Parts: sequence; structure tokens; C-alpha cells
Amino acid sequence: MFNPLDHKGIPLEDQIRNWRELNVEPIDPEAVDPYTRCRIITMNGIEVEAINFQHQFARNCPDQEVRRQLAYVRYVESQQQRVVNWLLPGVASVLETTLGYEQVAVDLTAWVARHEPDPYLKQAYEFGVLEDFDHLYRYANLYEMVERRKAEKIVDGLTEVMPGRPTVQEHRHPFDEVRTPYDRGSADPRSKLNALTILSAEQQVMFYYMNVGPQYMEPIARQLYQEISLIEQEHVTHYESLVDPGETWWERLVTHEYNECWLYYSFLQQESDLRIKAVWELHLQMELAHLQQAADLLRRHDGREPEEIVGSTGLPEPLTFEPNKEYLRHLLATQIDLTKLGEGYVREAHERFEWMQQQLHDGQQPPSEQVIDLHRDRFGDEYRIETEGPHPVESLRVRDGGSHD
Amino acid sequence: MTDTGAQATPGSAEEDVVDLLLAQHARIEQLFLLVIGGTGDIRRDAFDDLVKLLAAHETAEEEIVHPLARKLPGGGGDAMVDERLAEERQAKETLRTLVAGGVDADGFETGIILLRDAVLTHARHEERYEFPRLRQHVPADRLRGLAAAVRAAEATAPTRPHPGAQSAKGNLAAGPALAVIDRIRDAVRRPSNGKG
Repeated sequence: MFNPLDHKGIPLEDQIRNWRELNVEPIDPEAVDPYTRCRIITMNGIEVEAINFQHQFARNCPDQEVRRQLAYVRYVESQQQRVVNWLLPGVASVLETTLGYEQVAVDLTAWVARHEPDPYLKQAYEFGVLEDFDHLYRYANLYEMVERRKAEKIVDGLTEVMPGRPTVQEHRHPFDEVRTPYDRGSADPRSKLNALTILSAEQQVMFYYMNVGPQYMEPIARQLYQEISLIEQEHVTHYESLVDPGETWWERLVTHEYNECWLYYSFLQQESDLRIKAVWELHLQMELAHLQQAADLLRRHDGREPEEIVGSTGLPEPLTFEPNKEYLRHLLATQIDLTKLGEGYVREAHERFEWMQQQLHDGQQPPSEQVIDLHRDRFGDEYRIETEGPHPVESLRVRDGGSHD
Repeated sequence: MTDTGAQATPGSAEEDVVDLLLAQHARIEQLFLLVIGGTGDIRRDAFDDLVKLLAAHETAEEEIVHPLARKLPGGGGDAMVDERLAEERQAKETLRTLVAGGVDADGFETGIILLRDAVLTHARHEERYEFPRLRQHVPADRLRGLAAAVRAAEATAPTRPHPGAQSAKGNLAAGPALAVIDRIRDAVRRPSNGKG
């Protein structure tokens, strides 16, 4: 398998782009492969994490020379983020991009859950994916109400749209969001990359919703973004707590750069749009040089080799965007009623869960429930895409009035 | 129940003119997909439907939405509307060329993509900059009344051209599409004369 540690990439001094290079042509929203949109959204989240992580590192680093090196690479990463995110078209609405974000959250997390070697970490992804799955359904109903369009236009039958773990049940006591971290010494390198990838994606979803939500005039839209952005913040807590807090800053830098190499390499393998594929290829070549710099810093300041952090066998299997319908249906059938207690998972509505539910809901119906009721009031049904048959959980099947897709 | 603005069941008395135009935008997107992705009769029928819907839709916007938008408080309404009208003129020229040549003409494939990009970008401009201000500044009952007027006008027109008897060309030149335009004009001018 391709080992990024064996490659030098594009020299750092050749990585600053000019205005012409930054001014990328966006994708055509009427003709795009939905998974191309998903790859763009994913890499945007990864680059946003790269920038934020390096800012935090710089604020915690007393060495001026290192701060200068970090500042340079951070500027380059920043240009990468601008290029990647600017591939999204101006004609797409906020809600259409939102549906893309949720399709990412579903199919990215499902793939990671299927490939995670550690059972405890796997459970964390299986738990989380059913919640994003539900968000997709809530936003799809909002989309038809506000824009009169169907989510099918965005997800194109690759991802089903129906209830997951109901959002109303996702509001837990923050204590119970905190998981047990993996051990940095013994964890499989794949587990480190998986955790960082999902953490980055969820963090970007949180940033996006908490910032775009108030741009809506429709009260139900404002309220739904507010509610789901709070869940996404809890998801960030959930996923970030999986990462060993004992990792050194140098070690984390290596993991970040190695992860970017893995994802650009992965998407390069499967990209259907040749123009976008060229972006992934270029960015991979840039990241290889960032990784070299991070590896040098690790050797100098930590006295360790990068192989001790990410292994010496090269990249894991490429992460792939593909339908996960059967897997998700299996999870729906077996894990819909799980909640969290302490650092584990339980089925009963325990005291702390009930306390939080009471504080937040306080006898009121949350926006995630209102949006479905409003859709039923106005259209006579709710919006779903169930391509593989009725919902696997009987109580979540369509009530009278049916659904349309 | 929270007040959630002016959306409503399609075709119901609750629906306002913005809902109606949004639903037409969605339908226009679908028809472009059918024309671009379809062949033979599917493409021909979809194109006929598209031509007819675009004619009715743009007329409704020119007669109702843009005049309202010109009068919105805060200024800038005229410039915004002039930009939308320029987009509509450009789209109409492309449409005229496509209708004249028909779906089998050389250059249809390229032309229909150009038209799609122009029309859908235009629609998004309206959705982002024009419709929210209408909902903000125009009384809800007025917006609902205008929806009823547009629906009534469209309902009395033939719903689709006769297969084979009328090409899209004839349709646009003198057929049902023009009838729709006239009816919409008549219908909306009456209610809007009252409260101005």
C-alpha cells in the first residue's frame, strides 16, 4: 500500500497559490455525482480541522521557529480549504448543502463503523450514525416545506431518508457524552485516523449549522438548525473524547497530516469527476510535504519516528463513499433504542437522561418533531425515501397519510 | 403551534404566490432533467411542458412579483428587478432559438444546458434576494390572493399541447402558451388594481 512517509511531495516553497489558481470553477449542482459533493464536504471539514488544530498548537508552542513553520503550513492549508469549499456552487441553497452534510455524516460514519477494528470505537460510530440519519430525514422535510423541492434531488437514492434514533431522544446529559479514549500506545493506526476523520466532519457540521441557522426567516428553519446544531456539538464531544488526550502536540500534528494524505489518496482512487480528481491529486502532493515537515518536528522535539505513531505499512484501505443501506437498516433494527450512561451504552431511560430531557423539553415539542407535524399538516404526509422497503422498526413506519418520495 | 411563515399545502387557499412560484421552480428543474436526460418522445413532451411552464411562470413573475419588488421599502428594488428582467430577456432569446430548431436540431444539446444554467441561476437569485423581501413586506393575504389569481388563470388554459398536432414552436408562437400568458395578465391585473 502507498506509504506517504516515503514521498517528498511538492516543495513547501512552491505551495502558495495565486488568485487565478484560487478561483476554482464550482461543481454543476444539476449534474454532480452526490458522492463528489460528499467528498468535497468531507475534505472541507478535514482542512478546517487542520487550520484550527494548528492555531491551537501555535498558541501552546513557545518555540518561535516552530511557530513560523506552523504559520506557513497553516496558510497553505488555509488556501487548500478555500479551494475545496469553493468547489461548492453559489446556486445551491443552504438547505441543499445541509442535506449534503447529512449524507456525508451518514455514509462516512457508516463506512468507518464497518471498518473500525476496535469494538468499543466501532460501537461509538454505530451509535452516532443513527442520529445523523435522523437529521437527514428532519431536514428533508424542512427542505420540501421551505424550498418546495425533494431531497431526492440531492441524495439521489444513494442514501435512504427515514427516521433514525429520533432527534428528540438525542438530547442527553453532557456527562454521558464523554467516552473512554483509545490508548495511543496500543491503538491500531486505523483507529486514530477514523476518530480524527469523524471528529473533523462532525465539527464542521456543528460550525456550519450554528452559523447559517439564523439566516433563515422561517421560524421552523431557525429552530431546527438551533436544535440539531446542539446535537452536533454533543457529537463533537462524543468523538473527540475517543482520542487519547496523552498524545503530544508533535504526535497529533503527524496524525493530522497523515490523515489528510489518507483521505486525499482515498478520494483520488474513486473520484468520478476528472477536474475534481486533479484537485485531490494536487492536494495529496502538497500534504506529503506537510507530513515530512511534521515528521521532522516529531523526530527533533519528541525523539520519535513517525512510524511509531502511524505504523510502517502504509495507508489503510481507502475510505470510500458508497451506499450503506443494508448496514444502516441492520443498525436501525438493533440499536434504535440505545442511549448512553457513563462511558457505556444502555437501553433504559436512566435518571440523568430523564433529568436532561426534562430541563430541555420542559413539556414542549422540540423543533425536530414540529417540522414533521408541519409537513404533514401542509402536504398531508411526511417526506421519506425508503428504497429498500418499509422502515425496519415498526413503530417508526409511516402513520396514516402515507409518505411520498 | 408555532407560526412558521407563509408556506401551505400546494393548491390550497393557504398557499401564497411565493409558494406557488417555488413549486414552479422545482417543476422547472425536474423538466430540465427530463429534457437533458431523456430521448425521443420523453424529451419532446418534457420540452413542450417546459416551454409552456416557462412562459406562464415568467409572465406571472413579470406581472406580479417584479412590480411588487420595485416598491419594497429600503430602496434597491428597481436595480434588483432590472437585473432579473435582463436575465429573463437573455433566457427568452435562448429559448426562442431552441424552440425554432426543435429538439432534434444541431446545437440543441448545448443550447438546453445554456438555458438551464441561465434559468436556474435566475430562479435562485429570486429565491435568495427577492422572495424573502416579499414575504417580509407584503401582507400575507395579498400574497395569498395573488396565488389564487395565478392558479385560476393557469387552470383555464389547456394543460398540455396536443401530441403531434402542435410543435413547441407553434405552441410558443400562437398556441396555448400565449393563451396562458393572456389569462394570467388579465387575472392578476384585476386584483392588483384594487389595493395597489
